[in-house]
Amino acid sequence: MAGLVATFGAGAMTNSIGEIRDADLLFVIGSNTTEAHPIIGMEMKQAVKRGAKLIVADPRSIWLSTIANWHLKLKPGTDVWLLNAMANVILTEGLVDEEFIAQNTEGFEALPEVLAKYTPEEAERVTGVPAAEIRETALEYAKTRKAAICYTLGITEHSHGTDNVYALSNLVLMTGHLGDASMGLNPLRGQNNVQGANDTGATPIFYPGYQRVDDPEVQAKYEDAWGVPLSPEPGLNLNEMMKETGKSIRGLFVMGEDIVISEPNVSRLEEGLNKVDFLVLQDIFPNETTRFADVIFPAACFAEKDGVFVNSERRMQRVRKAVEPPGQARADWEILLDLARAAGASFKHEGPRDIFAEMARHAPKFAGISYERIEELGHGIQWPCSDDDSAGTTYLHEGGILRGKGLFEPVEYRPSKELADDEYPLVLSTGRTLYHYNAATQTRRAAGLPVKQPEAYIELHPRDAGRRSIEDGDWVDVLTRRGKIRCRALISKQVQRGCIWMPFHFGEARANLLTVDEGDEVTGTAEYKVCAAEVRRVTSELAPKGEGQEAFYPGSYYRE
Amino acid sequence: MIAKTGEVTVDGVKVEFGQGETLLDVSNRLGRHVPTLCHDERLAPAGACRTCLVEVEGVRRMVPACRTPASDGQKVTTANERIDKHRRLLLGLYLTDHPAGRSDCEDGAPCELHAMAANYEAPTDWTPIPLTRAGRSEDVNPYIQFREDRCIACARCTRYCDEVEGVNAITLAGRGAATTISTVDSEGLFDTTCELCGGCVAVCPTGAMAEKMPLTAGAPPERELQKVRTTCNYCGVGCQMDLNVDTQASDGKGQVVKITSPPPGTPPSDGNLCVKGRFAYDFVDHPDRLKVPLIRREDGELHEASWEEALEFAAKGLLRVQQDHGKDALAFVSSSRCTAEENYLVQKMARVAFGTNNVHQCAAT
Repeated sequence: MAGLVATFGAGAMTNSIGEIRDADLLFVIGSNTTEAHPIIGMEMKQAVKRGAKLIVADPRSIWLSTIANWHLKLKPGTDVWLLNAMANVILTEGLVDEEFIAQNTEGFEALPEVLAKYTPEEAERVTGVPAAEIRETALEYAKTRKAAICYTLGITEHSHGTDNVYALSNLVLMTGHLGDASMGLNPLRGQNNVQGANDTGATPIFYPGYQRVDDPEVQAKYEDAWGVPLSPEPGLNLNEMMKETGKSIRGLFVMGEDIVISEPNVSRLEEGLNKVDFLVLQDIFPNETTRFADVIFPAACFAEKDGVFVNSERRMQRVRKAVEPPGQARADWEILLDLARAAGASFKHEGPRDIFAEMARHAPKFAGISYERIEELGHGIQWPCSDDDSAGTTYLHEGGILRGKGLFEPVEYRPSKELADDEYPLVLSTGRTLYHYNAATQTRRAAGLPVKQPEAYIELHPRDAGRRSIEDGDWVDVLTRRGKIRCRALISKQVQRGCIWMPFHFGEARANLLTVDEGDEVTGTAEYKVCAAEVRRVTSELAPKGEGQEAFYPGSYYRE
Repeated sequence: MIAKTGEVTVDGVKVEFGQGETLLDVSNRLGRHVPTLCHDERLAPAGACRTCLVEVEGVRRMVPACRTPASDGQKVTTANERIDKHRRLLLGLYLTDHPAGRSDCEDGAPCELHAMAANYEAPTDWTPIPLTRAGRSEDVNPYIQFREDRCIACARCTRYCDEVEGVNAITLAGRGAATTISTVDSEGLFDTTCELCGGCVAVCPTGAMAEKMPLTAGAPPERELQKVRTTCNYCGVGCQMDLNVDTQASDGKGQVVKITSPPPGTPPSDGNLCVKGRFAYDFVDHPDRLKVPLIRREDGELHEASWEEALEFAAKGLLRVQQDHGKDALAFVSSSRCTAEENYLVQKMARVAFGTNNVHQCAAT
């Protein structure tokens, strides 16, 4: 998000979901789209059916790689090498869009010098992707006008996540693939309202609409609107908050997140939570974090309240109340209003409609959006939408890049924080599956999903499994410098040799006991995608008993 | 629409058409409701159900409107005595191996065949034909069942599985009257490439592809449920969906008993949903839901409390941290799962009531 704000001036998908099917080339990197965003996956399938070329860059084999023209199976964490080498090819072959660069960008001069050493041959050595494939895909991308890049957390969940985004931005800017339908750079959002949470100011550096807290004019505007003095000091980001928990952070309010499942290196976080003075939780289910809480507020779920979710393509859409919440549970907005009032603030809101109206009133990007206009236009409204005459924006940067000039940010490769070594020779990445969602508080309570995918597992290449005498379905311990968990082994060529992969949905085998909490320097996003690990078979007397093999349906495409 | 390529006359009205448009597209645009059972705008035309047959001047046989390209100068008739007679007889034939009473047939989803038959006053008293279509009752997947007695072999489901979801898990099998919907070796869906998106259920016109979720199975027929259009709460695609509510259930609080998808063409999801969106909703009513505020009392245990007490306890606790350690000793974690309004309130509360910018949503990247 921060990366795209810096280079393009807006941290969101440049295009709309419906434009994907009309693209002539899709470059999907760090996104297992058919599992994490199944409906966008369908759009990609439509494009390929129509004849679009598909480039998939992912350390694992995924559904999309089975229909891709190229699968660049890079080693985890080497994205900058791959992307810089592609940029190197485009530059060397003279395929840069000089007119676009001259009119719409700045900082290009510094790029060639940085790129010079990122030759495809050197990149092959680091990434494991054949130089010929790097050349072919770079040329194909540069020569295809309707070329869209889609990426997800495989790009951002690294200690160098922002560098990865810069490297992608450079590719887009040097080829001018921006500002029209079906071409651009598209971060696919993981949660229903990640985009909306950012948009409405739930960030330590921005008020709603990406207005900086350290900008005196903005501060004055909000002091006037809210009637209180405000702090001009940017706050801590999530990663910093978690690391400071129990140190400088002594009290927390947490809404709708199971932090001891979802945050990295959770054993350290748990130590911190034991030391804090006060913890308030607000959620729909008891979770792993509730044992640390001093107060727990029961909240309504999405079917029990009104509001707006903002999707990945910046579309503000309505959420509508269909049923009453159970027991005494109340909508989060109702609880928040009362809590703020109990703490002495005078919040004069009646409900979601006027809360939204206040949010939009002070944020120029959303000023033309209201409940009334969302109803009137029928299918939500995509920001920017600055006044009542605008129907919203289907793709960004049409009449020029929002930042003014697109910014080239040349980047050098920096290795991940923790690399494989003799003691921990495997590289662990974590991710999501089709059948579960995040901490699985909802999906593991659904009737069918646990049947399809009942338990935690780790994917292991047959060669790595053989060397450790591990067979398919065996119980194994997965170890890193931070912790150990027990789960089943799935022997699969879906992962490459030396790499292991596991979903993070399962409370009894918390992948985040293993992960590192080193964050990206700009965003604080933790490196969930790379850490050093080892796997050991658990002797049969120690293995958990009772579960039958027949219930084991992890859904791999490459089972041996 | 792409550039105009010609003009046809539909029921006496002249109308322009564009590249690739069929007689069905043109008729629909004019508001002439040509009936279809096998058509879905996301799918390539199949011409399988024969209900959309229309007359074209100079062509002796009637032609399927769904797969006849419009061509310049055509004169098309979408309804007359001959066409209506054809539709009436065809629908009567369809009904001979279909559950007879409309209300019996529509115990779950509405039946387009029965609705259309009623519309055309098709004969309902023809001798029933014994069913020869094989089912797959041994399939143990928890979501999707195939009710062979309701199937009309229109193949919307198999074509959706192939052309939209792209997994080819189900297929037409058998011949003639025994044509059925099956899988490779009649395996259960768990043992196929099926990803349980439930698109087959959504596109089925007759309820032959049906849900077997416990909540849905025990619910009143879909036509008695209240549909509430909303946005899915899982990933960031923002698919539109209709919560189907049994308003009488749960002592009048209402219960979500089914999720259906809006029509094709509805942004951003084109009427599609995935396994989570369509089926993972029963958490809403799960007994584990938090129902009462809890506070940790001096014994170190969590106890039930009134809202008033819990809110005061929480506000005091946070303010005490602020007094003891300063404003920036507090941290507020907001949620990418909650609404825009709620995220707005969390940051406003952190900044206004507690004086800190230490606020971040949980999915920061």
